[in-house]
Amino acid sequence: MISSIVLITGLLLILIGLWGALTHRNILRIIISFSLMGTGTHIVIVAIGYVKNGTAPIIDSALGLAEAPQRAVDPIPSALVVTAIVIGLAVTAIMLAYAIRLYDTKKTLSIEALMESRW
Amino acid sequence: MAELVGSILILIGAFFHFSAGLGMVRMPDAYTRMQAGTKASTLGNTLVLTGLAFYHPGWTLKLVLIIYFVLMTNPVSSHALARAAHFIGIPMAGNSGIDALRDAQQTKRSDP
Amino acid sequence: MRRASIVFAITFFGLLFASVAINHTQSVSLWPLARSYVELVPRELGAPNVITGILLNYRAFDTLGEVAVLFMVAAGVGLVLGRQPNPTVADPPETARPSSEIVQIATRILAPLISVFAAYIIMNGHISAGGGFQGGAVLASCLILWLLADAQFQVDVKLLGLLESVAGVLFVLVGIAGLIFAGGFLDTRVLPLGQLGAFFSAGAIPILSLLLGIKVGCELSVILARFRA
Repeated sequence: MISSIVLITGLLLILIGLWGALTHRNILRIIISFSLMGTGTHIVIVAIGYVKNGTAPIIDSALGLAEAPQRAVDPIPSALVVTAIVIGLAVTAIMLAYAIRLYDTKKTLSIEALMESRW
Repeated sequence: MAELVGSILILIGAFFHFSAGLGMVRMPDAYTRMQAGTKASTLGNTLVLTGLAFYHPGWTLKLVLIIYFVLMTNPVSSHALARAAHFIGIPMAGNSGIDALRDAQQTKRSDP
Repeated sequence: MRRASIVFAITFFGLLFASVAINHTQSVSLWPLARSYVELVPRELGAPNVITGILLNYRAFDTLGEVAVLFMVAAGVGLVLGRQPNPTVADPPETARPSSEIVQIATRILAPLISVFAAYIIMNGHISAGGGFQGGAVLASCLILWLLADAQFQVDVKLLGLLESVAGVLFVLVGIAGLIFAGGFLDTRVLPLGQLGAFFSAGAIPILSLLLGIKVGCELSVILARFRA
């Protein structure tokens, strides 16, 4: 039940980000929509790894060594998402650098200025 | 008993958060929106964390540190945003005509 | 035409995601690979945090590749934004408008707090939640606070580049030491395992966390400093 709610939230975020990236004209709003899609994907990946009544896979006072394989949540999606978040930040930085260059050359932030590369 | 007090505090904090969101949607111009967002959400944060301290008394010191950190950062960032908005000339709504920052900057410039 | 194709794309993906969400069932136990990771990491590596054990030992090659991707992004941002500062976008640092006194004082109070918090997250990566990537990102956020608050703050890009390259070379050297003294490349059992949950334990994982935190922090700081001018 819990993982279904989190999964649906993540999938909704991906859909909203996709709609925003396709609809907006201002390049900054397109970049925000991409970042939203990335966050939605991270939430979906973590939600898939949930085990019923599980807790975080860290051995401390809440989770003993002997009962860890029964009660821990899947650690592999969390490890993947840790690196994915940092990569998402770096890709957003590259996109913003392109936005700055767009404003330098065309003096506008609308992607209509790049009309010649449309399909 | 402690759980009841904590729950009431968290409920009031959630109401303040909701009013912060409502204010950000319904206020007329940028400055009033910033004011609604900052004041109500900082207070909502403080109340929710205090209510949580009633649920888990062992976490009180950590929660006090978090409240201190929120009180340090939230008003300062909204102050910086409001000054930047005034600098690029976002107009104020309403016809009160009182602009304290513009008057203070003019008196500072005219003094030798 | 454009609006119709957008609506078609959104409904297509919406139906696809709906079928994924409906057919999703919660698992009641771990699948065999995850179960073996949760059992092996505290026993063989001595690290209570299973995720850090996976990231820095069993899948450490992925971490090295991801660090290489970050380096490539830093080089790309330096290429796109590295020309002479364009006067339409930013003021030169000498005549930039200073920030107000409240922001300056708050920055001076907050920057040491943020640095200590980043160091705590990096060094506690193997005991509780944390690690190199998270601590490096918090360290970069301390630098962006200084950049936003102080108009005359100049970031020494060459020193940060040198620091991150040295951290990267040391990371690979620790990996080669794992090849010589222990099971394979980037195996962290070169140092003694120690007691589970102590600060100096889990082999070479704290050292790898530290180097990773320094490298990620410097890289993100270089990326963010290029946006200034």
